[in-house]
Amino acid sequence: MNVTLTVNGETLSLDVPPSTTLLDLLRDRLGLHGTKEYCHSGVCGACTVLANGRAVSSCSMLAGQVDGADVLTIEGLTPDEGLHPIQQAFVDNFGLQCGYCTPGMILLAKALLDENPSPTREEIIRYMGGNICRCTGYAGILRSVEAAVKERRSWS
Amino acid sequence: MCAATGPNVTRLVGQSMPSLEAPDKAAGRIEYMADLTVPGMAHAKVVRSPLPHARIVSIDASEARAMPGVVCVLTRDEVHADPDMEEVYGFVYRDAPLVAMDKVRHQGDIVAVVVADDVDTAEAAAELVDVEYEELPAVMNVPQALAEGAVQVHEEFFPIAPELRPIEGTNVCHHATIGCGDVDQGFAEADFVYEDEFTAPPVQHCALDLHAVISQIEDGKITVWTNCQSPFPLGRELERIFKMPARVIIPYVGGGFGSKSRDRIECVITAAAKLAGRPVRYVLTQEETFMTFIRPAYRNRMRTGVKKDGTIVARHNEFWVDVGGYAISGARSANNTLKVATGPYRIPNARVDCYAVYTNKPPSSPYRGLPTTQHTMSYEAQFDRIARDLGIDRLEIRRRNLVRDGDIHVTGDYLRSAHSHECLEQAAEAIGWDEPLPVDPEGKKLRGRGVSCTIKYTLTPAREMSENSAEVALVEEGVFEVRIGTVNIGQGSDTVMAQIAGDALGVGLDAIRIVHSDTYRVPVDSSTTASRSTYHMGRAVVEATDNLKPQMLEAASQLLEREAASLVFTPDGIAQADGASEDDGAAVTYGELVERVGAPLAATGDCVVGGMYAGPDGRSYPIASTFWTFASCAAEVEVDTETGTVRVVKAAASATTGTAVNPHSIETQLEGGIGQEIGPTLFEQLVWDDGGQLINAALLDYPLPTMETMPDYAPRYVDHPFEGGPFGAKGMGEIGSVVLPGAVVNAVYDATGVLFHEVPLLPHKVIEGLEARAE
Repeated sequence: MNVTLTVNGETLSLDVPPSTTLLDLLRDRLGLHGTKEYCHSGVCGACTVLANGRAVSSCSMLAGQVDGADVLTIEGLTPDEGLHPIQQAFVDNFGLQCGYCTPGMILLAKALLDENPSPTREEIIRYMGGNICRCTGYAGILRSVEAAVKERRSWS
Repeated sequence: MCAATGPNVTRLVGQSMPSLEAPDKAAGRIEYMADLTVPGMAHAKVVRSPLPHARIVSIDASEARAMPGVVCVLTRDEVHADPDMEEVYGFVYRDAPLVAMDKVRHQGDIVAVVVADDVDTAEAAAELVDVEYEELPAVMNVPQALAEGAVQVHEEFFPIAPELRPIEGTNVCHHATIGCGDVDQGFAEADFVYEDEFTAPPVQHCALDLHAVISQIEDGKITVWTNCQSPFPLGRELERIFKMPARVIIPYVGGGFGSKSRDRIECVITAAAKLAGRPVRYVLTQEETFMTFIRPAYRNRMRTGVKKDGTIVARHNEFWVDVGGYAISGARSANNTLKVATGPYRIPNARVDCYAVYTNKPPSSPYRGLPTTQHTMSYEAQFDRIARDLGIDRLEIRRRNLVRDGDIHVTGDYLRSAHSHECLEQAAEAIGWDEPLPVDPEGKKLRGRGVSCTIKYTLTPAREMSENSAEVALVEEGVFEVRIGTVNIGQGSDTVMAQIAGDALGVGLDAIRIVHSDTYRVPVDSSTTASRSTYHMGRAVVEATDNLKPQMLEAASQLLEREAASLVFTPDGIAQADGASEDDGAAVTYGELVERVGAPLAATGDCVVGGMYAGPDGRSYPIASTFWTFASCAAEVEVDTETGTVRVVKAAASATTGTAVNPHSIETQLEGGIGQEIGPTLFEQLVWDDGGQLINAALLDYPLPTMETMPDYAPRYVDHPFEGGPFGAKGMGEIGSVVLPGAVVNAVYDATGVLFHEVPLLPHKVIEGLEARAE
């Protein structure tokens, strides 16, 4: 089947088997390895990307479901030079250790901040509660998102 | 000869800094195993046993082999047919066949490997492999395995590590004892004796980076890419099995927590690659990781004799660790924890018995310090029962028993840099131990606080491979390449080694480049486990720099035509000491030095551990652990008496770290350990049905801690320099998880008056406990 979608600002038209997930499309067809896989059942959030601005588990979404969508992955968030302020906040606040959940966490934080520019701590915890991290105990991630909220005014 | 042994100033050590690779990780640019490819590679799917215990009657792979796109199918027949392939592996306990030979020993045991051009074909063909089984009675837990007449999981035992001692004719693959004093006399002297039994079920590590391997055999040499935590022992095992040289390359690893500490897929996929005649890639699914390595089921029967004032005079405890179908990892990790099973307390008369027992569960592996975690929960929970019974304050009873420097541990070790008292006071203070607890006006939610203290060993000596080496080389452009076997698994090892190397050389971080965990590019190291790297690899790095400095001085001496003894190291290079400036040419930068020598200058350093410790009293003491990490945790919980739900509100942990090389990294390691252990303490467990089938191997049925279960953390550390450690540092990566459950169990006891003897503290268990107490 043919799927047309925009990935990181580039519009693509691809022939894919109907069973192709968005995760397969990103990783295997487009070589965008920043999107990670673990549970393959939509639970862990390692494969989180933004589709039309909303955070989705790309492992649980068929390519056909994102026909016409605007998809943002970690590669698209990362500027040519340096890092996006959310990424920088994760670095500065020890919001990552092994780094495997990090792209998904950062994109989830981006979706949150786009939706709600000044979330409370409780709102952050509820929103970010869907993604699994095994290293940090989440404290560093919470500090990172809170730092990014504070920095929010400097970017938009 | 060296006037200058280097500035050795500490400018990087002691600074909090994000990991060197953090920006690349935040950008998603780091490649993990699942991101790697090798030209021409084929893909594997493993045919796994659906039964926990069965004899293999026949395997028919003809249909699978006939499928277009299938390269080959590896079964016991192909392994038998190859005279240059040993059938059984395991570098601690040699009991795991590459593929099942006569029988399968756990659900998910490896029966065959299908190799195909692509993953989909391999998966489809794997469905076509027809295996006929004759089901055998299964022993699904330790009591069943120890029962009279129980079926034996293995008929023979093949321990490799010398300390492992099976009991023939049983399922006990290892039994060992440790002790001191006279236990019978100790109990006779006791005013009171307490006996308890504590249990904990298996859980899985759930490292998000799935265990994976690519194996390639080319020109009589094996190259394996894997996210295993033990590259050098694995390489040696591959060389033994396949009788050819093997190189093991470990990329960045997305967590392991012990699940990748031993080989379970590397050797078998290499056998498949040999048969296929091309590189083979294999990535476990999340479900398969639950049948590959798990944290073992644990049981501890503990008897403690105390005086009226709470002083412990005797302890006997026996613990049983369920190693599952293969002892390739679990037996030795159980044995190692004998050293700490009595806790951080002065116990004059003690005996501990360790039993590692085969069952038909998946193989077990360490889990961030386990079983020390469960030992700690057991002796700490019993300690609170004793304190309550004797009417002694819970902190005070610990103060009366905690070890101090100069005490002799149950292993015979002379303890130093213990600081266990400081940890206890710090942790208690950090959660506001003496402040009044919030009271729920409706009386439905109960608050309580608990504390727990622990002692943790490190792998000493690394018996199967006692070498721990590093190489430091001055290479082009004046960069110091630090070559280490330590696997970067997310713990921040590259950064800590760069800090140590930078200070040892007196240069900045930008002059350091880390090369890690490639057995052909770095010298030997035993493993990245047991909180050992900062100490062992750090020491090896310091020694390598010490060995490199004379070479650099000698080279500079010739270039500058000055006596080596008159030269000193500067952050940029080597210069004449007596104030001679660059004007007269008596200085050379590191970049110029290596350029003018025309080749890199390199030196190795070793960290040799073991032997005896010369005590300040003039006597010699054994070294059962190169260093001991002490820690305390204080936790506050809220128990909902209507739903039975337990919430950890606050958790403080304080650990002895020696010099804190990267303080904020230490704090985040403590947070991470605590946060991870919330799961097994409150709600994680693997469940088998009566037919021996694991029923919750998928994440949909297996909840993990999330940001919503996160407590308020208060990480602390006691950073008195540890003599012998690199810049005074020692290890601490596992200690946060080790010390949490005891504090939580005790906090629930404080809140409810119910002492739970098993984790996880599931809501229905809590309700049952509350109801039983009410009756």
